[in-house]
Amino acid sequence: MPDDRIDGYAAAILEFAKAEGELARIGDELFRIARAFESSDELREALTDPRLPVERKKAVVDDLLGDKMSRLAISLVNFVVGLGKATDLPLIADRLAERAAAERNKVIAEVRSAAELDEKTIARLAKSLGKATGKDVEVKTVVDPSVIGGVVARVGDVVIDGTVRHRLEEIRDTLIRR
Amino acid sequence: MLTLLTRIAYGAGEVVEEEPSGLDLVLPEINELIAGVIAFAIVFVVIWVWGRPAINRMLTARQDAITGQLTAAEATKHEAESLLMDYKQQLAKAREEANKIVEDARQSAEALRTDVVGKAEAEANQIVRKAREEAAGERERAAAAIRDEVAALSLELARRVVTESVDASAQKKLVDRYISELEELKA
Repeated sequence: MPDDRIDGYAAAILEFAKAEGELARIGDELFRIARAFESSDELREALTDPRLPVERKKAVVDDLLGDKMSRLAISLVNFVVGLGKATDLPLIADRLAERAAAERNKVIAEVRSAAELDEKTIARLAKSLGKATGKDVEVKTVVDPSVIGGVVARVGDVVIDGTVRHRLEEIRDTLIRR
Repeated sequence: MLTLLTRIAYGAGEVVEEEPSGLDLVLPEINELIAGVIAFAIVFVVIWVWGRPAINRMLTARQDAITGQLTAAEATKHEAESLLMDYKQQLAKAREEANKIVEDARQSAEALRTDVVGKAEAEANQIVRKAREEAAGERERAAAAIRDEVAALSLELARRVVTESVDASAQKKLVDRYISELEELKA
């Protein structure tokens, strides 16, 4: 899907969420759904399989997310899935998060860690990432066990990697590429 | 002769009717002697006047002929000698040329041999060097492959061990360090 169409979808959902007065929550939930979509092969295959009817896809979304997310977020995901744009869900969610943050003059910092971070840690991360990048950041956390340990933050195009996975990759590069 | 003439003179003075004896036995009569002397003189003069030049001419001609023959022989000899010289020279030249040709052939054969041997040696060296390089490259590749394999296995092991050992407190430490490093990044 072209970039401007993703932008269009994100803008539409943003306006809708604003109208409902749920921008922060919707943005957050869609962001988490997008990460789940990325990390779960099962969910991704179910939603992008062209042979599966749309009703089945919506049922899958309800089954998997119904009890975790608000009705509004589920409806918006189903809206995107219904239009057959499930593949672009992560991009749309990211763009929405960026736009929602931009509404508050903030930029999104996507923080991946192996385990859930507590509120205090997230606040400290937001503060130090803001200082490091010179921007007012809004931290979005993603739990990603593949990082093993530590944290990797992505602010726009800048990636600050402090994960154990990254260290191991560095060691591998040193060992193998001689 | 003097005695004879004296006798003749005496004889003339003596009696003619004397019985011949002694020397008179071999000597002719005086008239006969005079006639003989005159005849002799006539024959002598004739021969002297006409015969001598003819003999002289003949001798001269003969001499000339012999001289001419000698000269011709000399010339022929010279010619023969020069011819011989020529032949000798030509022979020497031919021999020299033959030697030169043989020498040239030998040299070119030698050069060819050296060339061929040199080329063969160079080729052999090239083949050996290439083989060595290939062997070295192969060894290097094998070593690199083993090294990579060992590295990959070690890292996989390390990853598992680290994954096992990273507990909540370790996670907290890692995150804390990340935050302090972020702050250093700013400073």
